[in-house]
Amino acid sequence: MTTLLLAAGDNPLGHVLDRDSALSIEGTRLTLSMISLVVGALVCITVLMMAARRIKTGPSSEGNARFVTKGRIAQVIEVIVLGLRDQMLVPVMGERLAKAWLPLLLSLFFFILTLNLFGLIPFADVQEMLHVMMGQHEKAAADVAHAEPAAVFFGGTATASLSVTLGLAAISFCAIWWQSFRDLGVKGTLEHLCGGHDLVHGPIGLWAVIPIIFVVEIGGMFIKPAALAIRLLANMVAGHTLMAVLFSFGAMVLKAGGPTWAAGSITLVAGIFAVLITFLELFVAFLQAFIFMFLTAVFISLMAHEDHGHEEHAHDHGHGGHGHVGHGHAEPAPAH
Amino acid sequence: MFLLAADASNPMSVQILPLATAVVVALVTVIVLSLFVWPTIAKGLDERNEKILGEIKAAEDARANAKAAQEEFERKLVQAQQDADTMIKEARAQAQKAADDLRARSEAELAELKKRANAEMDAARRQAVAELEAHAAELAVSVAGKILGRTIDAKDQKALVEQSIKEFASSGR
Repeated sequence: MTTLLLAAGDNPLGHVLDRDSALSIEGTRLTLSMISLVVGALVCITVLMMAARRIKTGPSSEGNARFVTKGRIAQVIEVIVLGLRDQMLVPVMGERLAKAWLPLLLSLFFFILTLNLFGLIPFADVQEMLHVMMGQHEKAAADVAHAEPAAVFFGGTATASLSVTLGLAAISFCAIWWQSFRDLGVKGTLEHLCGGHDLVHGPIGLWAVIPIIFVVEIGGMFIKPAALAIRLLANMVAGHTLMAVLFSFGAMVLKAGGPTWAAGSITLVAGIFAVLITFLELFVAFLQAFIFMFLTAVFISLMAHEDHGHEEHAHDHGHGGHGHVGHGHAEPAPAH
Repeated sequence: MFLLAADASNPMSVQILPLATAVVVALVTVIVLSLFVWPTIAKGLDERNEKILGEIKAAEDARANAKAAQEEFERKLVQAQQDADTMIKEARAQAQKAADDLRARSEAELAELKKRANAEMDAARRQAVAELEAHAAELAVSVAGKILGRTIDAKDQKALVEQSIKEFASSGR
């Protein structure tokens, strides 16, 4: 046990980043993030299906009570859905776009939220603890020494893996450009990449800037989703790394030859701080899921042939004259 | 408590298999949720929204009807008050007129009675005076005849009566 505690003090990041699990398919080792993705998706779908059943209108025999959502979780999900739809997405995207993209955006939000929340539960560490308690600590210590995968089947934060966040960002990327080609068409999208209709059909003297804008826009095509991925990854990794560092203080004391009581005291104080950080992590889990979804919505709406007000887009991309963007502010969300 | 350190790979490393898994699982999740969850939730929320809006509209209609009914009631109340006031005024006027008529008729009858009574009193007095005069004349004639010892003829009698009457009248009034 002491060996393991000492090993824990070596590299807190090892508890945060993705690693291989004990499962493999045809010789291919599955990573914890892959298993978390599947489990997270199943949990997300199951919970949302149960919530949907409770939110939907009941039989008329229930009277007015058939319109009431039953269950705390369903009520929370309903509040979140209503808030995101009416207070965030509809004002930003407009009614038409919000209606079209709501399923994707809400799915992304709840999926990422589920993965983030899973990261707050130490499934992997509990399995490792059980593994040690079952008398495998010597082998586990050897695992540490030889950097072999521990006997962990599930756990970790999937969104703390760049591979996962890039995969999610790839979906946002496809959605953004699907929206662009659908609303603006190929010609409109190319004009957008070249600085907009006004610039392309404007004075010849200004054409010199078109290559520059084209390069910047092409870069933006990939930078925007990449920023989504890295932002989500960095927030998840940072929070969990902080937690791991706090928990590893005691092991560091032991490793430095300090007394046990000192290690215990430091671990106690660090544990108190870790609890407080956990609340912050809980908030960050919601916040990052929201930011990922919201920025995807913003990027989609920037590519829309919509007259619901995106002056920033007009200013940023010079689209003011070709009618791809509106002039004015978004309408407030209707009362639902 | 973190018990075991695993391999600390590069945080920025990208592996194809987890990336592909993320894309596939996320897409499957989006599709399943889009087919079976969001339509149900949206339908439930929309139905509740319609129900709430319908109830609000019904409540507003009921309130408008109640307000109209109250205004109609108040209007009728004011009208009834005005009608009652008019009727009271008319009744008072009629009563006053009847009282005035009754008073006038009573006064007229009273005056007539008084006039008739006065006339009857005058007639009675005149008759009494006439009777008194006649009786006095007879008495005077009788006395005079006794005094004179002779019978007074009609001519004397008449002259005597007339003189007595004159004297009586001048002394009695």
